Amino acid sequence: MSEPKRLHPVAAVSHSLRTLKEAILPIIIFFVFGGNRDSKWDFIELYLAPVVLITIFALGVLSWMRFTYRIEEGELRLESGVFIRKKRYIRFERIQSIDVSEGILQRLFGLVQLKVETAGSSGADQADAVLSAITKQEADEIMLVLSEEKKRRLMDLNDIDEADGESEREIPHRVFQMPFKELFLMAATSGGVGVVFSGAMAFFSQFEEMIPYKRIFKGLGQFVQTGILFIILAVIAGLLIAYIIATAGIVMKYAFFTVKKTEDELIISRGLMERRQLTIPLKKIQGIRITENIIRQPLGFASVIVEYAGGSVMDKENSQVMLFPLIKKGRVALLLKEFVPEFETGEGMAELPQRAFLRYLFRQWIIVLPVVAGCLLFLRPWGYAAILLLPLSAGWAYLCYRSGGWSITGDQLLLRYRFLSQETLFVKKRRIQVLESNNSWFQGRKQLATISATIKSGLGPRAGRVVDLELQDAEDIKQWFSLKR
Amino acid sequence: MEPKNRISDNALKVWRITGFFTSLFGWVITIAVAVLTYFFDWPNLIWAALVIMSIAHTYLFIFLIPSIRWKRWRYEVRESEIEIQSGLIIIKRTLVPMSRVQHVDTKQGPVLRRYDLATVVVSTAATSHEIPALDTAEADDIRYFISTLAKVEEEDV
Repeated sequence: MSEPKRLHPVAAVSHSLRTLKEAILPIIIFFVFGGNRDSKWDFIELYLAPVVLITIFALGVLSWMRFTYRIEEGELRLESGVFIRKKRYIRFERIQSIDVSEGILQRLFGLVQLKVETAGSSGADQADAVLSAITKQEADEIMLVLSEEKKRRLMDLNDIDEADGESEREIPHRVFQMPFKELFLMAATSGGVGVVFSGAMAFFSQFEEMIPYKRIFKGLGQFVQTGILFIILAVIAGLLIAYIIATAGIVMKYAFFTVKKTEDELIISRGLMERRQLTIPLKKIQGIRITENIIRQPLGFASVIVEYAGGSVMDKENSQVMLFPLIKKGRVALLLKEFVPEFETGEGMAELPQRAFLRYLFRQWIIVLPVVAGCLLFLRPWGYAAILLLPLSAGWAYLCYRSGGWSITGDQLLLRYRFLSQETLFVKKRRIQVLESNNSWFQGRKQLATISATIKSGLGPRAGRVVDLELQDAEDIKQWFSLKR
Repeated sequence: MEPKNRISDNALKVWRITGFFTSLFGWVITIAVAVLTYFFDWPNLIWAALVIMSIAHTYLFIFLIPSIRWKRWRYEVRESEIEIQSGLIIIKRTLVPMSRVQHVDTKQGPVLRRYDLATVVVSTAATSHEIPALDTAEADDIRYFISTLAKVEEEDV
């Protein structure tokens, strides 16, 4: 497959549409504010509009004609550019993941978009290669060539792997599918509702400034009396609608969620309207994170996330990939063993010493106490309700304290901590970019320390951070990580 | 066991100079407010508070903080890893394995240049770490030393 190929002609259309979408705002502004009705240039925009449109589509067609891709000498080679010719050669070894998706336009013609991601470089659009419209068959061919080339190179590099390779080949390819019940449960318990709700609030607060609620209500005192119930009902209804929208959105996004494991790759596909498929080489996985949010934890469910070093600036959600969006806590160990055998889920975990709890409580109350005091002083009688904050925050401190823990098995470090959700981060020693320990004066007095391990996730760092563990434990972890002899 | 190297003595001077300029800024505002108070009959409380704040700021940023920071700052560059210790109230100790280092820079602002100092910046794939205010020659040595040892393996990123 070495002769240069073009994309499907649909790419020309989709490219023009995209340019149009980006240019639409300036065009509208020009149309609305641009014309000076009295001059002889009256209605010039009406003549200009077709010219602009034709130019955009001509450029779309031209850029489609210029865009070619080929696979040569272990590289994916792209050439593009109408005015400035660009050549982008991507070595297979540098490829972090392959993402196949189908937009609506592509679906109409039975096409897919194939996106190749490399470890992000500095520029936003430099990071990856996008083949915006190719047939499914071509996509499959490319992926096949890529994986075969990679395998061959590996074989050439070291024959030692062969023994491993054979034992791996015996394992049948694993498939994980998320049942509908769990998909629904996941959508219903996700925090997505918060986003929709705050969006709605922002929307309504806009109206508050426009509609003189106060003046309306003054004249309708009687109405307001009965109206309060109405308003409460309306708010509840609004919340419910926001909740349903958020849930439906997530159901659509994660419908038909499937993970396949081949010899050295994970292939994740999902989506109802827009199918997305993402291929992650096992080798590029930097760590595994299990997260249990506050609603799911009591129900015994967890989400498993793969942290890998791909993704581009433009596509943030891809840098942390759901491996298992929602599974029973009890199944985590088994599934991880099947899909990412590199990582071990041992049982034993060192927890935080009891004296650490006081520090957790202290950190909560130092913020809460002044608030409570303020409420008691200035907001009586309702301010008394603020006293409730004390046991609540103490309970939260206890939860955070209970979450803290760590363990070391071989070359794997496991850190468990709570920010809002309880997070469990699995990292390999050779994937840790930086290990940090913090000691404050207060911690020092109690022989405690804070440890944090940073890995690369997407373009940025992801840090696992356990606060207030035994000073000696922190030293042990540092010793384990340090290469000093 | 702490990392063994300290940063240059001149770092203290540099930090004090920077502290001097920030507190100078504070004093300019304070004096401006005092003058305005005189002409417009503002309450005396405001400028009195500002004077106290400026005095505290001057003491903290020219005298106390630079010397604590300087005492805390330590670093050590070994063949296998870089260890950095810093902090004011919280002591932070950072361990960067040499095999994770992507590149290393030195940089030098006008004040640092005046004292012939430079800052070394070590970058990994995800984070970056500074060792401030080393003698230029030493900074160059370290940069060279790290860059010859740092080689990230192809596969790992």
